[in-house]
Amino acid sequence: MTSITLGKFSLKNTCIHRLDPRLKVLGMLMFLVIIFLSYGVTRQNYLMYGFFFVILLILMIISRTSFLQVFKSLKALWFMMLLLLVINALTVKSGEVWFYIYQLDIHYEAILRWGYIVIRLILMIMTTTLLTSTTKPMELTFALEWLLTPLKYIKVPVHIIAMTLSLALRFIPTLAEEADRIMRAQASRGIDFREGKFKEKFKAVISLIIPLFVSSLLRSGELADALEARGYDPLGKRTKYRKHKWNYKTTLGLLIIAIFLTGIILLAVYQFDFIGMIMGLMK
Amino acid sequence: MLGKFTSVNYVYGKEGTALASSALSDINLTIDDHVFLALVGETGSGKSTLVQHLNGLLLPTSGTVQVSHYLLKTEKKKKYYIDLDKEQGKHPKRKQFKVKDLRKFAGLVFQFPEYQLFEETVLKDVMFGPLNFGMEEKKAEAIAKAALKLVGIGESYYSRSPFELSGGEKRRVAIAGIIALEPKVLVLDEPTAGLDPKGEKEMMELFDKIYQSGKSIILVSHNMDLVLKYAHEVCVMNKGKLLKVSSPLEIFQDEEFLSSTAIEPPLVFKTALELKKAGLDLNLDNIKDIPSLAEEIRKAKKND
Repeated sequence: MTSITLGKFSLKNTCIHRLDPRLKVLGMLMFLVIIFLSYGVTRQNYLMYGFFFVILLILMIISRTSFLQVFKSLKALWFMMLLLLVINALTVKSGEVWFYIYQLDIHYEAILRWGYIVIRLILMIMTTTLLTSTTKPMELTFALEWLLTPLKYIKVPVHIIAMTLSLALRFIPTLAEEADRIMRAQASRGIDFREGKFKEKFKAVISLIIPLFVSSLLRSGELADALEARGYDPLGKRTKYRKHKWNYKTTLGLLIIAIFLTGIILLAVYQFDFIGMIMGLMK
Repeated sequence: MLGKFTSVNYVYGKEGTALASSALSDINLTIDDHVFLALVGETGSGKSTLVQHLNGLLLPTSGTVQVSHYLLKTEKKKKYYIDLDKEQGKHPKRKQFKVKDLRKFAGLVFQFPEYQLFEETVLKDVMFGPLNFGMEEKKAEAIAKAALKLVGIGESYYSRSPFELSGGEKRRVAIAGIIALEPKVLVLDEPTAGLDPKGEKEMMELFDKIYQSGKSIILVSHNMDLVLKYAHEVCVMNKGKLLKVSSPLEIFQDEEFLSSTAIEPPLVFKTALELKKAGLDLNLDNIKDIPSLAEEIRKAKKND
């Protein structure tokens, strides 16, 4: 149960860990956008994805994030990838035929399109892993709250959302521990969580989920009381324990992100055939 | 012999990493048949970890744990559940037992067991264990009813939801759930924590009754009054090590040993000791609680 990968922050002190969380969240959003853009012909797309991959890899090496984590997340998605491959192979019938399986024709296009999905998935997981392993959950909620500030003007309770979010994140390890305890208790009553037929497994899961649900409801009630007892007012103005100063470095980072993003988007909009141009020049 | 720990070590987390922490180190302990054994020690001394070895929830990182004829050990990161009665089989697989058998042999009641309730009705929840061990529905129901009666939960509760009971009642139902497994050993991890004095007394008397019926009780407790009154043997633990195994009488008398631990002898016992020092001829063996102390004083006065 302790292998929950959500928000797995690893304590290291690299320049990426020290970076302003707001910048990191913005950077992640940028990557998520450009990963899903199209840059013209296929080879150009793959080239761009390769370029993004290298950038992310460099960032991961600088921040000493282990690639193993990315691999683990990918492993969980193997079935989805397989399914997508099958669907693509069955439905995409344009372009040249690559080979036949019995009567079924498999097109280059199908495999290439599947390749897009896989590469985008890998890049996406790399981006999010990079963010969550270099940013503390509290910093993340701070960044989100800051990014959502404009919504305050249309009366969205941003700080309440942020508080809820940070409480939820705070309770993930507690609940994992609780689940572990309940599992042991039920195991003592003859429940086998590892083996057994489907029906037994179903019963095992029920015997875990109901007590977990009950105790988390009780816990949240107690927490609410404890917050109120200490004078918490959801509408009150909150101050921060750790302050993030906006300095010239942050501005510089933001500028780099903006320029990079503009460049990539321009490439995507004009679908500039730079590979063709380079090849033309070489001739 | 009920159980035997032979140089048992237990490490939480992966060995060799920063997260690894040793919970038990070099535990050697023999538990006799039909015991009322108390495990005492500070929080974090490894009592709960030790207790979880008894029903195979945890396996020793090194060393062996034997409970009745079930042997547990880890070798080269592989877990072994060996049935010593089946030793004649050549292939190690043949010697394996199902861990469920051990779970039924040693019934483990966790701290705050009321959190494990989940069924729709009290009766169903108590039946849950026996049914898991493959008992027939009717037999399970009869056993569940008997167990509920034993813990003092009346018939009017059978069809109620366990979630609408009071804390003490929930605790009783949860303990009935383990008693219904009919284990040979009942292992209790601080069963009276958070109960009121009356509930505590009733609960302990119930365990004593179970003990009298021929079963063994292993009790983890911080309450020395209970240890003095009910336990026949005490294991003192500290920082994952087993410091001492002896009778409560001996441990509470050993001032030198007590000063090295955080154990405080019960007030009744301290009073008796002081009275004895002051010249009253008391038989410390008989002192279990306040009435027995009063009785001893009366006897001593008579002899004067």
